[in-house]
Amino acid sequence: MLLKENLSDSHLEENLVIFTNILRKEGLPISSSETMDALQSLQKIDLSSRENFKVTLQATLIKNYRDRDLFNTIFDYFFAPPEVHNHGEEQTAAYKKRCADKIKQAGNELTFKGEPLQLTSTELAQYSTLTSQQRERLQAFMHKTESGVNVNEPFRPILETVVKSHLRYCRSGNRQDENTGSSPGGEPSKAMAGGCGSGSSANQDYLSEMDMQSITARELPEVEQIIQRLSKKLAVQILRRRKKGPRSGLIDLRRSLRDNLRYGGIIFKIKYKPKRRDREQILLLCDVSASMKKYSAFVLQFLHGLREAVRDLSCFSFSDELENMTQEIKKRGSIHQILEHVIHRSETWGGGTNLGMSLQLLRTKYPDLLNRRTTVIVVSDTRTIALDHAVDELSRLSDRVGRIVWLNPLPREQWVEHRSVQTVAALTEMWPCNTIAQLDEVLAGRL
Amino acid sequence: MNLTLADLKKGFKEAGYICDDSTALTVFLTLELKKPLLIEGAPGVGKTEMGKVLAEILHTALIRLQCYEGLDETKALYEWNYQRQLLRIQMNRNLEEEQVKEEDLFSEQYLLERPLLKAIRALETPVLLIDEVDKCDPEFEAFLFEILSDFQVSIPELGTVQANQIPAVVLTSNNERELSDGLKRRCLYLYLDFPTVEEEVEIIRAKVPGAADRLAWDIARVAANLRRQGDLRKKPSIAETLDWARALVFLSKKRLDGKLVSETLNLILKTRADQDFFKAEIGSQGIEDILKQGKDGG
Repeated sequence: MLLKENLSDSHLEENLVIFTNILRKEGLPISSSETMDALQSLQKIDLSSRENFKVTLQATLIKNYRDRDLFNTIFDYFFAPPEVHNHGEEQTAAYKKRCADKIKQAGNELTFKGEPLQLTSTELAQYSTLTSQQRERLQAFMHKTESGVNVNEPFRPILETVVKSHLRYCRSGNRQDENTGSSPGGEPSKAMAGGCGSGSSANQDYLSEMDMQSITARELPEVEQIIQRLSKKLAVQILRRRKKGPRSGLIDLRRSLRDNLRYGGIIFKIKYKPKRRDREQILLLCDVSASMKKYSAFVLQFLHGLREAVRDLSCFSFSDELENMTQEIKKRGSIHQILEHVIHRSETWGGGTNLGMSLQLLRTKYPDLLNRRTTVIVVSDTRTIALDHAVDELSRLSDRVGRIVWLNPLPREQWVEHRSVQTVAALTEMWPCNTIAQLDEVLAGRL
Repeated sequence: MNLTLADLKKGFKEAGYICDDSTALTVFLTLELKKPLLIEGAPGVGKTEMGKVLAEILHTALIRLQCYEGLDETKALYEWNYQRQLLRIQMNRNLEEEQVKEEDLFSEQYLLERPLLKAIRALETPVLLIDEVDKCDPEFEAFLFEILSDFQVSIPELGTVQANQIPAVVLTSNNERELSDGLKRRCLYLYLDFPTVEEEVEIIRAKVPGAADRLAWDIARVAANLRRQGDLRKKPSIAETLDWARALVFLSKKRLDGKLVSETLNLILKTRADQDFFKAEIGSQGIEDILKQGKDGG
């Protein structure tokens, strides 16, 4: 039981500070001024209403709707109903001991290379309340990850992030299944326990942070929804930037007058508002070799959502050949059917990779697409046969286009281990991109 | 502003703004704390309407600043009346008087108030609605910090202008881009979702009194179902369902059916792609099923 004494007495301030600290530990950015706002607000409401109390804290402390699930979970656990608080000291002590034992056991089970993962006690408590099936599944995933090729110590933070996301996912899923608040008997709310649902914002966060390669068929519909939402959001931003705004080379009257006052108001020097940048031309090159085709499919889905915002969009797939997919990707309709059609007629999907040959074909067959306004986005792990030829072609491409943005699904930590990555990174703007969140971030910053 | 929570709830009801208790409480707290209220939510859930209704409840003026990309302080805060300044310079020259001084030109009489300055200098507490703040540039968002935290603005030529009355500020955002932590920290936060079927029925009853009970329920059910369709580009807003209800009342309709929905589709689905999606995935038969389910479910 985390709450100190009753809410209605002088412990309110203290409890509020403890509560906000827990929220901060869970990653919610809560400033001191917001805590002060919460305290001031509580003085304005009827504290006997639990609902009002909750709404007040939510309005003053939570400034992102995605954080509401997490807030509700912690609130229900922290501000448990009075009957929970009325349990005897013995029960409380026994419960605390049970919790401590479970947390200890969780710490022993969640390890990487024999060392415990860096998780907070709340996260360990969440893990301990998962069902045995869920715990086994998470352990199996960790074991599989641990025994992977080239998986060493630098991989630890990535694994920690995945485990944390998974715990958030389970917690949020459980919230969806729950109709009641805290469970009776002083046990942690079931909201802190296992059970994975879908559709919540935390669940979407989890899927956005998941390696695209690991996304299962069951999770695909929700992932597609996320991609659709993100690409729609980005499309709106791109379209807005393209509209002719007031800065499009108009006279800046204010600055002109101010600068010309010294000449008695006669305009000698006209000051202009800065012009906007010209719209770019996007050329997408997707590596659809066996190891890359899943990543490329997700990137294509994303770009399909942008097809109307990015008018000059060209899409190519490559493995040991180059194929133009522009017309298909620009079509309206279900991306499933479009991808199915592309894969069905394609001779490149699932083959080996010959980057050099593909770039050479691009240069010779589609020279009109390559100019200084073109941004080339390549989705590839850089693994290719004939690396020297690829580097030579990449260098030529780099001279002809505005820039090359390379989305590499390999984690940044692993780049040093691959000569091809280092060579390509020297010629392009390379970004690690194996999750949907990373894809959104990179594209939002570049388009 | 001596307004109790009960008064506020009553005010919302009288203004025909149907909202739950948590929304009313959040608005009440923003008024009590004199803090800005940031409202986020999908387009068409009633964010802007909140500002208008609040002005109505408080019997005060609504000052609206519509944000857009490229909005700067000359459009939002103040601008100098350049034509008048030039005239003054010219007049002085013709009269061969002493050269006009800069401080004479940058004085109150040449100042053009824009919404933010107008709200700050208002003698009676106004409601300042900063609409679609997510559409403005991050630089302008940072510029709002000073106003929203201290309710004062700095005009280089005149100095700092303090608010006569702290305005009730409502900021709305469609959440198209993430707002900065600094801005969020200065506001209380409210997320408005689309109404439940029951709430929407109440809204229709309040705003379209001529709508038959059955028709209101049918419209609310169909609208709720369409909003659940992930593939729709633009989900029907509350204003659109109200327009739809008004049109159906005008056509003397007492209930919906699949054919009628297909015929009046233009009123709720405003893009060709969405209409095609409706025809392909839902159609008249889908509407009949939705209405039947609603009827069976009471």
